[in-house]
Amino acid sequence: MERYQRQTILPGIGTSGQQKLLLSSVLVIGAGGLGCAVLPYLVSAGVGKIGIVDGDRVEESNLHRQILYHENSIGKLKVEAAKQVLQRMNSTTEIEIMPEFLTPENVDNLINSYELIIDATDNLEVRYTLDEVCSRLKKPMIYGSIFRFQGQVSVFNYNGGPSYSHLFPKDDKVILNCEEAGVLGTTVGIIGMLQANEALKIILGIGEVLSGKILIYNTLTNDQQIFQLADQSVELSSNTVIEKVDLIHPELAFEQKGILIDVREVGEKPEIPSGFCRKIPLSELESRLGELDKDGDITLFCQAGGRAIKAGKLMQKAGFSKVKAIQGGARDILKLIKDEIEPA
Amino acid sequence: MITVNYFGNIAEAAQSDSETLEHNAMSLAELLELLDSKYDIGQFSFQVAVNRKIVSRQQALNLSDSDEIALLPPFAGG
Repeated sequence: MERYQRQTILPGIGTSGQQKLLLSSVLVIGAGGLGCAVLPYLVSAGVGKIGIVDGDRVEESNLHRQILYHENSIGKLKVEAAKQVLQRMNSTTEIEIMPEFLTPENVDNLINSYELIIDATDNLEVRYTLDEVCSRLKKPMIYGSIFRFQGQVSVFNYNGGPSYSHLFPKDDKVILNCEEAGVLGTTVGIIGMLQANEALKIILGIGEVLSGKILIYNTLTNDQQIFQLADQSVELSSNTVIEKVDLIHPELAFEQKGILIDVREVGEKPEIPSGFCRKIPLSELESRLGELDKDGDITLFCQAGGRAIKAGKLMQKAGFSKVKAIQGGARDILKLIKDEIEPA
Repeated sequence: MITVNYFGNIAEAAQSDSETLEHNAMSLAELLELLDSKYDIGQFSFQVAVNRKIVSRQQALNLSDSDEIALLPPFAGG
């Protein structure tokens, strides 16, 4: 077919690849910024059946990034406005529109007849619902998401690969979407295009699918990094209770009353003159807590801050109430001492 | 020196995409505590990658010089 000739001459595609595209079905959840980038490329490439799920109507503030819509689309259902444009791009594509939001009740029905799902939603609740069903029905879910000038892309539930909830277990923390955080049209364009590209690769069976990995793209620096996901047997929690030790600047530590303790081991450089602090190495701290006043102000330092915080926690557990750690370490303290002795 | 790369809302909290820290036999847990004290990262959801591989932060792991750590929060915009 003349229409697809430039892609069928590519190695690994050919007329059999075009046939695969024609027989494929892709469901796009969300016809916002990402959806508007994904859809025209799938339709133009000759994907046989496309479904679009979105209950929203077009608003004026969508137009800068949701490029399937124009000024006359305002107030119309997104799925209808999108279908109108897409069908003109390719009259042979079967386009099914579902003007509703995805819920735990309708999700099975919506995705059942599609082999590939594209997660182009801006809603975490919907994403977890979709992920659970895709995982259960073993349908690959091509994930894309944005935070300001950065985007993430991954393919979940692909050939038994990890799911979204394995990477990011559900918790109650708030994450900003585009309405709240702001977004440029080109950012959703780039990320949506990467999602469409993964879809074509999966259908055609070419290249390396982003499964078990997550790509992060920074549009301000053009830096992209791929991170390998942990094995599915590793349980990842995104909630860790962290007990806090307050950090203070070294300057404040000097002004403060109370005692300053160096928790580094004996012999670590640079040496702080002993008139300025007490020295209780972390390894001895627990057995020497009796030397210290539980209600007194105590400030701890080490080389970079890590051990001072560890020491602070240990002391808090033992009932010390006014323990702080210095932000920085011995070098900062030494500099302050020198400035005091030899004022600039 | 270890390098810590921040993404999404954590980069905003740290006011930087990346920083290097001097490390003295620091464990991953100690690093996270240090970063929590500095930037209050405990308020965010995120995963931790060491040298581009996501690891459980419960894992006892001592960091080595030249390790590259990344804090990866989920994004929600679309």
